[in-house]
Amino acid sequence: MKTAIETNDLSHAFGGRPVIDRVSLTIAAGDFFVIIGPNGSGKTTLMKLMCGILNTGPGRIAIFGRDLRSYSHRSLARTIAYVPQTLEVSFPFTVQEAVLLGRTPHQNLLGIPREADLEAARRAMATTGVEHLADRKLDQLSGGEQQRASIARALCQEPDIILLDEPTASLDLSHQLRLMDLMEALKQEKAVTVVMVSHDVNLAAMYADRLLLLSNGKIAELGPPADVLTPRSLEAAYGCRLMVDESPFGGWPRVTLVPGKFRL
Amino acid sequence: MQNRLFNILKIAAIAAGLALLAGSPADAKFVTDQAGRRVEIPDRPQRVVSLAPSITEIVFALGREQILKGVTSYSDFPPEASGLPRVGSYVRLDLERIIELRPDLCIAVKDGNPKAAVDRLQALGVPVYALDPRSVPTVIQAILEMGAMLNAEDRAERLVREMRSRIDRVTAKLVGTGHRPRVFFQIGDAPIVSVGTNTFAHELIGLAGGHNVAAGSAAYPRFNREQVLALAPDVIVISSMDRAGSIERTRQEWGRWPSVPAVRSGRIHLVDSDIFDRPSPRLVEGLEQLAGFIHPEIFGGFK
Amino acid sequence: MTVSSAPLIKRLLLAAASLSVVLAAALVAALSSGSGGDGILRSLSVVTGQGAPDPALETIVWRIRLPRALLAALAGGALSLGGLVFQALLRNPLAEPYILGIAGGSAIGAIIGILLGLSHFPGVSLCAFLGSLATLVLIVAMSTGQSLVKKDALLLSGVMVNAFCAAVIMFLVSMTQDARLHNIIFWLMGDLSSADGRAVATLAAILAPCFGGIFLFSHAMNLLLMGNDMARSMGLHLRSVTAALLVVTSLMVSAVVSYSGLIGFVGLVIPHLLRFVWGPDHRVLVPACILGGGAYLTACDILARSLPDQGEMPAGVITALIGAPLFIFLLKKTRR
Repeated sequence: MKTAIETNDLSHAFGGRPVIDRVSLTIAAGDFFVIIGPNGSGKTTLMKLMCGILNTGPGRIAIFGRDLRSYSHRSLARTIAYVPQTLEVSFPFTVQEAVLLGRTPHQNLLGIPREADLEAARRAMATTGVEHLADRKLDQLSGGEQQRASIARALCQEPDIILLDEPTASLDLSHQLRLMDLMEALKQEKAVTVVMVSHDVNLAAMYADRLLLLSNGKIAELGPPADVLTPRSLEAAYGCRLMVDESPFGGWPRVTLVPGKFRL
Repeated sequence: MQNRLFNILKIAAIAAGLALLAGSPADAKFVTDQAGRRVEIPDRPQRVVSLAPSITEIVFALGREQILKGVTSYSDFPPEASGLPRVGSYVRLDLERIIELRPDLCIAVKDGNPKAAVDRLQALGVPVYALDPRSVPTVIQAILEMGAMLNAEDRAERLVREMRSRIDRVTAKLVGTGHRPRVFFQIGDAPIVSVGTNTFAHELIGLAGGHNVAAGSAAYPRFNREQVLALAPDVIVISSMDRAGSIERTRQEWGRWPSVPAVRSGRIHLVDSDIFDRPSPRLVEGLEQLAGFIHPEIFGGFK
Repeated sequence: MTVSSAPLIKRLLLAAASLSVVLAAALVAALSSGSGGDGILRSLSVVTGQGAPDPALETIVWRIRLPRALLAALAGGALSLGGLVFQALLRNPLAEPYILGIAGGSAIGAIIGILLGLSHFPGVSLCAFLGSLATLVLIVAMSTGQSLVKKDALLLSGVMVNAFCAAVIMFLVSMTQDARLHNIIFWLMGDLSSADGRAVATLAAILAPCFGGIFLFSHAMNLLLMGNDMARSMGLHLRSVTAALLVVTSLMVSAVVSYSGLIGFVGLVIPHLLRFVWGPDHRVLVPACILGGGAYLTACDILARSLPDQGEMPAGVITALIGAPLFIFLLKKTRR
């Protein structure tokens, strides 16, 4: 089994404060790996470290067995794609133009699109269902449409690993499901390793092969959802009362918040 | 094809010949102007452009206005000068209009015309002679040099003789007078600006037997009201380029400060600024006016 | 907008071709108008080489108007390009080429040069250039390390330095009481009248590699528009690209300012106008700004020379009078 991402004693401090504290983990190739945890636990930082956006301090990251720092910027971009939570739209491109930007790691300096690039963009837009929006400007789209355009752009990079930072945060229920199903399909059909940061514990439980519960920059729990989502570990991390039982679909845990007015 | 080529060669030959004739070196001479530049100027200039109002005045005074083809704006003396084509102002020369007039000589003032413009004119093939009149003696020298350049030496000598005799008349009558009245020569109102040592007005005040209370290294020093009160001038001369009612208003404003000797004795005079700041023959007129203001007991009152 | 969805190469060629035509027309118009000469038709005949030869008019057209028109075209192109690059680097629609202290630094340098009595070229120009270099170094030193790519930190440093320089300028101006005040005011308002062949050739030699270099970075600027993180994740060397663009563009704008003074609103408005028509892809916008900005300033300079009865206005006044309402109009059109 190939290892997609491996970190060793990874640490990162911001303004003197440690944000990530000696995190060591491995993500197998083709895994659906979800990172959960309370706000400020360092989830986004960990993700940015993994794709090379933030420079690491102490600790080591290996991508497919090679040190992250040994990759050229270009080859790293062809290996890992990053989908942030929100898009900057100060000078908005059309969807087609934005998606084509994802072909940059495969192009020359000026990025003049060739037929292969246009074809890849078309396919990516079809996969995420935004091809009918190709000529619309990004700032005219809804949050969900922007998210899907962003994923199409990531797909154009033809990455082996795709990192998504809270992709379902601004989506309505049907789009949330569609997105998770899309990631599942990518994993199955294209053997893409999916690493996702999520707020939604239950959604994560339904799709993830393995979960990482991050708390104060440290690994609280790491493993299959059933192992990680226990009342003890969740309450320790999130600081609130929860109930965990099995989902009616079977096969994965279901987490329910316990409101203050109920007594167990 | 061959016919056309032959025609072009013919025209080129004629043009070259004409150019040779037109630019014949025998009609020009090398001189060093008052700014230390070596320029080649024609012996008998036929098309002269004046680059400052004072130069215009001198050309007319030398009786050579018929070769004057262009002047800068504010060339308003004598009145006939107002009819001549304008070539911009003397701080912003209009090069296109100057070139258009095809001058064979331009006359500039060193500390007035921008050097860059003068250099460009020279580079475009127009000879520019720069004068540098900074005091009454150097104005007289400039008049003589212009007389030489414009083939009006006799006229220049006569003019200079007349100027010198008028100056001598004033200075002669002042011999023996003990005191020098304190003079404040005001050229600006908000803020109040006066004249320092390196100005014509200062020199004329001195020649007219007065003491310039604003003397100093700054050419146009600024004062507030309080400082002028402290200087206690005996005579206030108000000079302005703005001929409308504003200088009258300035005089009336002084009326509110009777602690000033000049105000108490009513010795506040309004003058036309041109005869005090242009390096031209009319400086002598300015001197005579000032003498009348400063020593009315000797020169009788001037208005 | 149908134009902005056309394929890239076609859009680039169309933009370059149409704006080249506009620039050529502006240059011909500039050669044909001015205070000398008997009017447009006569000057036009000199330009096309027909009609009887007239040495005075030819001197006017080729040795006075041509260098000036070329300076306007070069300056307009460089200022527009500078505005485009800073708008991309700072992701801010209000960014303009003087924003990183160049206005303040070059003005102080130029004023000192004028007060020292130096001639405009090379003396005052060199002082202006050194002044803007000094402020650039100051701003880079203030934004050390990480802040170089944090766009807001850079912007803030630039605004503060410009404000401080404005105070120094007011001080210097208030201390000046003679004819040099006139020169200073004209420099501050932007003034193309000092152009001559040698100056224009020097400036062209400086600007040409800057134009070429920035064009090579045009796709990188597209990536920058998506945000620092995205740009990095798609393979961009963020710090070196940002630093390179910053330095090259600052040098380019400083070179222009040292010749022409502070001509405003060109670098702010032209990128927006061209973006409105041709879309935000910098591979099209870089050549478009060079050509379109050049045409715009050439046209404004024609107005500056021909509007007043006597003499001329500073070019910066015309660009402000046209540019400000144009900018407001464009902002209303592009924001909802």
